[in-house]
Amino acid sequence: MSLKRNLKETIIYIVLIIYAIVNVYPIIWMGINSFKSEQEFTVNQFGFPNEFVLENYENAWEIANLGVLFKNSIFITLTATFITVFLGALVAYFLSRFEFKLNKWLYTFFTFGLLLPIHATLVPMFILMKNLDLLNRPYTLLFPYIAFHLPITIFILTSFMKSFPKSIEESAMMDGCGIFRRFWSIILPMSRPALATVIILNFIYNWNEFSFALVLINNPEYQTLPLGLASFAGQFTTNYGAQMAGLTMSIIPIIIFYLIFEKNIVKGMTAGAVKD
Amino acid sequence: MKINRTAKIGIFLGILPALIIYTVFAILPIIQSFFYSLMEWDGFAEMKFIGLDNFVRLFNDPIFLNSVKNNIFVVIASIFGQVPIALIIAILLNRKLKGGRIFRTVGFLPVVLSTVVISVTWSLVYNSRYGLINELLRNIGLGFLAHNWLGDTKWAMMSVLIVIIWQFVGLYLIIFLAALQNIPQEVLEAAKIDGAPEWMITWKITIPMIWDTILVAVILCISGSLKTFDLIYNMTNGGPAHATEVMAIYMFNETFKNLNYGYGSAISVFIFLFSLILIMITRKLFGRNLT
Repeated sequence: MSLKRNLKETIIYIVLIIYAIVNVYPIIWMGINSFKSEQEFTVNQFGFPNEFVLENYENAWEIANLGVLFKNSIFITLTATFITVFLGALVAYFLSRFEFKLNKWLYTFFTFGLLLPIHATLVPMFILMKNLDLLNRPYTLLFPYIAFHLPITIFILTSFMKSFPKSIEESAMMDGCGIFRRFWSIILPMSRPALATVIILNFIYNWNEFSFALVLINNPEYQTLPLGLASFAGQFTTNYGAQMAGLTMSIIPIIIFYLIFEKNIVKGMTAGAVKD
Repeated sequence: MKINRTAKIGIFLGILPALIIYTVFAILPIIQSFFYSLMEWDGFAEMKFIGLDNFVRLFNDPIFLNSVKNNIFVVIASIFGQVPIALIIAILLNRKLKGGRIFRTVGFLPVVLSTVVISVTWSLVYNSRYGLINELLRNIGLGFLAHNWLGDTKWAMMSVLIVIIWQFVGLYLIIFLAALQNIPQEVLEAAKIDGAPEWMITWKITIPMIWDTILVAVILCISGSLKTFDLIYNMTNGGPAHATEVMAIYMFNETFKNLNYGYGSAISVFIFLFSLILIMITRKLFGRNLT
């Protein structure tokens, strides 16, 4: 019996380990090889580097202009996330805590956005932004990022805020608190768990977004990390070392972020996907 | 909550900014694409109204129909790749195992990474000269199996599909694990006491009990696969010879490379309606018990 159990457990472990290796080995392979010189990479792909070379990193940092890319990505991601969550929370507050004529209609209108396939809007978005003279600006990407992530943000926050009992605002109302005051000092603090979810969701979506950036930005000054990395890889197809170094540098922050907030990220992203 | 006049103004002001941004930058483009799809337009010169000609051309365009076929491949690969793998791993992980958490962490990692990082990394893995796969095959004496994975029309689609599956298994793994952990333990205990072997418990009890979740996963696979653009754009840009071209890639190239804004908009409209209809159908078929 115990032998049979041991055997079973061993098989389970073997399957899981194979799965884990397939999952992370491409990334580890890339990370390790980014420290090898061009020559060493061609002859020794699987071992550790005989000699750690930082040349790839210097090249990647300079050619791909990673400093600028990081700066742009951080700016766009943080600003878009902040505005989306703030505006989304306001809408969610009014939709969940008040009865008025257009309430249902507005909710349907906003959540309809969950069904919009982003790349079906690439062409008209480009034309729209061109007509509004908003192409290639440092803040260009804020508009589509906010617009397209409001639906999921409103959806998650509204369903959370609806669950509070009606009575919580009543005493505040007696004290003469205005509607914005109640939002700020009662509803918002109570929504902390849902806010964490939508902040993380927005952060990751915005940080990783590629197609709008591709269509709306071609000035290297304003490229974000995914766009810059893609064009770097497209231009220096044979400089494997520099590509690997660039990729490794770009994923380190997100991996650290993931390891720290794993629980929230996993919860947020699965909720985001299921509700999408 | 009852509202008075001042509150009404407050609500109006509070909702307005979000409503404007959302309407102008998410809804308006969709409406505009319907309009442009009826035009012949290179993006610069004057538009010419041509009615439904773009759509007639679309359905007679073999390259476009090929891209629809490839899109359907992606849907099928996602459903029959991502769901079963994720389900098996989830069932294996759903027990007391030392280090079980690590497998979850590792499993979800690709979901967090940007598609660009994934596609460039996998392009290196598939690289015909120094890529990980060919190098591995050569090292174990199977060098004759080495291919130009992304450059050969025979292998390109399969290679891309593997990455698409790889990218999202972790998401479904977590969704399934959450469902498995909701199954009441007494049910499983009872079956165990009756001496049922584990595979039978899994097949007869566990899977039927999480069937709703599996259907949700299938719906997610469908809508997710229709969104495929970034990955293929960065790995093959639809090549070689349209072998991996999906609708969105074709739309992109027609619009921005060939400057057929009208025709590109018609493809946008088709993608929009196609996903909307597919989502409606799957929801109708499977019911709407999604949360």
